[in-house]
Amino acid sequence: MTLVINPRLKQQVETAGTSAFPEECCGFLIGAVPDGFERLGRRVVVDEVRALPNGWEAGALTKTTRYQIDPKIFAKVERELEGTGKAIVGLYHSHPSVPAWPSPFDLERAWPCYSYWIVCVREGRAQESRSWMRSEDGASFLEEPVEVKDFV
Amino acid sequence: MSVQIKLPTALRPFAGQQETVSVDGKTTGEVLDALFARHESLKKQLLTPEGKMRNFVNVYVNEDDMRDLKGLNTPVKDGDTVLIVPAIAGGSGAEPAPASLSKEELQRYHRHLIMPEVGPEGQKKIKNAKVLCIGAGGLGAPLSLYLTAAGVGTLGLVDFDVVDASNLQRQVIYTTDDVGTSKLTAAKKRLQALNPNVNVVLHEERLTSQNALALFAQYDVIADGTDNFPTRYLVNDACVLTGKPNAYGSIFRFEGQLSVFGAKDGPCYRCLYPEPPPPGLVPSCAEGGVLGVLPGAVGTMQAIEVLKLILGIGEPLVGRLVLFDALAMSWRTLKLKKNANCPLCGTNPTIKALIDYEQFCGLKEPAPALPEISVEELKKRLDERGAFDLIDVREPHEYEIARIQGSKLIPLGTLPQRLAELDRSREYLVHCKMGGRSAKAVKLLREQGYKATNIAGGITAWSERIDPSVPTY
Repeated sequence: MTLVINPRLKQQVETAGTSAFPEECCGFLIGAVPDGFERLGRRVVVDEVRALPNGWEAGALTKTTRYQIDPKIFAKVERELEGTGKAIVGLYHSHPSVPAWPSPFDLERAWPCYSYWIVCVREGRAQESRSWMRSEDGASFLEEPVEVKDFV
Repeated sequence: MSVQIKLPTALRPFAGQQETVSVDGKTTGEVLDALFARHESLKKQLLTPEGKMRNFVNVYVNEDDMRDLKGLNTPVKDGDTVLIVPAIAGGSGAEPAPASLSKEELQRYHRHLIMPEVGPEGQKKIKNAKVLCIGAGGLGAPLSLYLTAAGVGTLGLVDFDVVDASNLQRQVIYTTDDVGTSKLTAAKKRLQALNPNVNVVLHEERLTSQNALALFAQYDVIADGTDNFPTRYLVNDACVLTGKPNAYGSIFRFEGQLSVFGAKDGPCYRCLYPEPPPPGLVPSCAEGGVLGVLPGAVGTMQAIEVLKLILGIGEPLVGRLVLFDALAMSWRTLKLKKNANCPLCGTNPTIKALIDYEQFCGLKEPAPALPEISVEELKKRLDERGAFDLIDVREPHEYEIARIQGSKLIPLGTLPQRLAELDRSREYLVHCKMGGRSAKAVKLLREQGYKATNIAGGITAWSERIDPSVPTY
């Protein structure tokens, strides 16, 4: 499987990550739902990224290590995209000062099918980014290559 | 009874690519059962092996979260839409190991553990909590002592001062031996002796617009014990911008104020005071004094609010302002409303980043240049027995404590009425405790045509640099 994104959108996500630093940023990846969304060979093409507020409610952990998206926003965006041929196909978030590997908590909360794109931000600057898809049984994440290219 | 169940894109592959599934049932529980009966693989995605709904699944009936209705017993009728909405969450941090309590801690916190409102679960919340105290002074002393005793896991302290003899009258965390040493080092020693389980983190620096956000992001609750307006606005703004509640306290002479600002849906300090008072109007504790026990009363109340916020019990002081008057021994509570037009936390905020708070509080306006001499110069002129008079504009009780030989007492407040005692042809050198009030006196005298000069640093500088036998206070 592959995540395809153009340089402008990649830049947008990296900027979101650096401006949220030291907190995590988060948002939707929007595009056409590919055939066989759940299958390992699938190819997700992103044509919009949408930045969202980090709705993590302070507890023992803070927004420096956690993100959360308000379900009301999720429902609203899904309604908005209805009938446009596009949908939420993945999510991005940043890992401030931590590598772009999914954490155990990322896995615990992971949904099937979606691309989970993680950008590592160190000292306020975007570093590597990697994308992941949850395995069907929910036991692990599988890495998918990120193809950065201009497309129409 | 046909109800439409709408699925997010991630679940459609498990329901034959359908966006909506039509099922029958009278409650949300029944329609979900009907859905799972038809699509076995969906069940695996949404329910735990024990058959409970996974915590990252939200179910909405039309527009409302079923948890706000009757959960799985929420009635549904023909034509209703049931939405399955992912609660998306994640993040880099590993789930903290649930704090466990050692045998020593079980004994130490016994009086907490036997109250059902706290109990072992609550005590673990306190142990997991991170609290940042701004200022290790009058309020910071009782705050940090009680929060340490209560077992707050991580306690941050921000201060950059050294212990002064005049602190000991109220800052009960310090001892006489600590005078002249770093406040934070002394405080940490005392706190660790009280409770070695607490991780005391020292931030020995001035809180600024540059470091506040990154600092606050590391903590769960902020407790503001500052003594000046620029820092108070800075703490308030940084709390709102980082979403941290601020257990606020302030003291002056015999009165104190308390509230919790910056809580979700609650007002902030700017909702109460959109603008700071003009500089000099409200004296600081160093100028106006403070009853030593007062910060003890107010700081412990702040500590109570911090613990309530951590434990999620009772009614935190959100949207209320408590006014304490020690002389009347009265506690009054005022209701505070969130201001929809608040530039920081209102509906259309204009403040989205930290600003220059010194400037905001009018402390950077250029002071009109007044003629001024140093205490060394004063000494020289006194020794030369120059033709001038020395005027002390402090209060009579201060004059009792300490005075410079040969000075004439005219308290600032009485100066306008006593101008007739002065002579426009003579030169007047004017001092107070630190140079602030005497500057006002010099300004007034100059405007009235008198030859007046301020003494920089006042009697405090005199005592420190010229004559140590004059007591400082």
